[in-house]
Amino acid sequence: MVQLNVKKRNPRSTFSKYFFLFVLLIGPIINWALFWLVANLSSIGLAFTDARTEELTIVNFKDVWQNFTSRDGTLLLALINTAKYFFTNLLFVIPMSMIIGFFIYKKIFLYRVFNVIFYLPCVISAVALTRVYTEFLASNGPLDQLFNLHIPPEGLLGRSKTATSTILLYTVWTGFSSNILLFVGAMTRIPIEILESAKLEGCGPAREIVSIILPLIFPTLSSMMILAFTGLFTASGPILLFCPNGENNTMTLSFWIFKQVYGSGEVGGTGSYNLVSATGLCLTVIGVPIILFVRWLVEKFPETEY
Amino acid sequence: MDKSSVLIKGRRIKEKNILTKRGKTEKAIFAFVFVLFFIYAASLLLPLVYLFINSFQPKLDYYNNLGEYGNAFALPRTWMWQNYVTAFENMDMYDSYGNRIGLPIMFFNSFWYVIASVFLNIAGCCFTGYALSKYSFVGKRAMYAVIIFTMTIPIVGSTGASFKLMTDLGIYNTPFFLVTAFGGFGFNFLILYGFFKNLSWNYAEAVFIDGGGHFTVFFKVMLPMTRAPIITLAVMAAISSWNDYNTPLLYMPDYPTVASGLYKIKVSFSRFGDTPAYFAGLLLSIIPVLVLFSCCSGIIMKNFTMGGLKG
Repeated sequence: MVQLNVKKRNPRSTFSKYFFLFVLLIGPIINWALFWLVANLSSIGLAFTDARTEELTIVNFKDVWQNFTSRDGTLLLALINTAKYFFTNLLFVIPMSMIIGFFIYKKIFLYRVFNVIFYLPCVISAVALTRVYTEFLASNGPLDQLFNLHIPPEGLLGRSKTATSTILLYTVWTGFSSNILLFVGAMTRIPIEILESAKLEGCGPAREIVSIILPLIFPTLSSMMILAFTGLFTASGPILLFCPNGENNTMTLSFWIFKQVYGSGEVGGTGSYNLVSATGLCLTVIGVPIILFVRWLVEKFPETEY
Repeated sequence: MDKSSVLIKGRRIKEKNILTKRGKTEKAIFAFVFVLFFIYAASLLLPLVYLFINSFQPKLDYYNNLGEYGNAFALPRTWMWQNYVTAFENMDMYDSYGNRIGLPIMFFNSFWYVIASVFLNIAGCCFTGYALSKYSFVGKRAMYAVIIFTMTIPIVGSTGASFKLMTDLGIYNTPFFLVTAFGGFGFNFLILYGFFKNLSWNYAEAVFIDGGGHFTVFFKVMLPMTRAPIITLAVMAAISSWNDYNTPLLYMPDYPTVASGLYKIKVSFSRFGDTPAYFAGLLLSIIPVLVLFSCCSGIIMKNFTMGGLKG
């Protein structure tokens, strides 16, 4: 009797299962196909199309090459600045977030308060934060008044020599917030017995972080590193909010792309999508092997199970 | 008191001891780090204090404090509540048709932008996360691989093509642009996928025995059990959408949110414009997210630190 029931219900249940899956997945699949696949395929198409004649051409790539190789080319400067943002994040912001996360995990005095305050840069609008930051670092601004820093009249953002480093400092200042949460979350999942036995063996904080915590939170760390490498050519600060035209040598690759598209025909975007696509394609071709290599390298490390 | 609660309490005490018991050197290191943390925390709070004080300054006093008086943190001689009224009534920008858009409309735009984009994003991620973690079907592996591929491969420069596509589809500069939020992939997908994967399928079996179907299982059993991570992700997405100035600027320029609108106002600001009123506008713009964060910070911190969300 039971078997009969199963036989009777099976076709309907298979149909209802696939109908259910169809309802769930059709939206996201169409969305991905349209706004990711089509967009990227047409981007490749644009890279090989002449903007004026709409004929197949490689002239966009020649322009990209010229822009990258000429000394006063915007793209070369943008690439150098992008590298600065990328390496600052990879080599300073991520490790520092881990260290800050360690002390919060170890319940430093007022750790709950710090945890909330350190997350504030994610909560407060960048438009507000950058406005105050600019004013703080202006000549006669609050910091100049407090510490007599002798900031030049045009401000640190007004000089080519200091503008990018000033924005870099801002990205560091506001960059720890969500990373800390992820690291604290990963550390909290470490079984307490492991730390207990390390303590009994006389393990100090440095040894604890290097020999115990680091290997155990490596999956989180490696995910963050892979994600950082994903943004290899898009690393940037909020250039638009500090130097809206990329002035004072602050241009980055992602901001350069933004500028070509933003306000096309109305507020100043150049609308040269073909050049943008060609640049993007070149960078993707360089970026894919790098990210694949990083992923391969990360997978070489044995994952600790606990 | 039952045995399990004693066990949990005992474990917490043990955990607390291990994490907080320190030797002399360790105490010194922690004291030093505490000072550094305090300075960093102060640096994050100081801008808010500055913004607050100066949003109440009379315009002339504000410029004098920065200039000849040299006292940027001076408390206002007269607390100018009028600055907030000015910000709300007079701060504005113009859309491409020349229509005036003030702060109230920007707030309205922000609210629907946040609600729609968060709902669509979380719904999409719940759908894909649940389908891929709980069902076997043809193409499942390929779909998962595609999701990981799109997340980890650094594709650069498709903004121009996307912009062209939005224009061709007729969704550029319209609220319909928000359909793009219904992606179902990305970081939120991974979190929800992991969470759904850990839920027992026995609940579904029980519903099937009672005559329920797949929709009943998903909407009435599985989704309610995923409430904690969904709320956490939704709050974080809401904060991020509220503060997002790039997307509305690029794709919905005639529907400025408070973030993109205040940026545009800043760009058109004259050198000696009414900065205290602008500060009042900035403070008003962060109040909704601060309120949301104050209400939900406990949930966010708890879900991250108690292992509810795996990064």
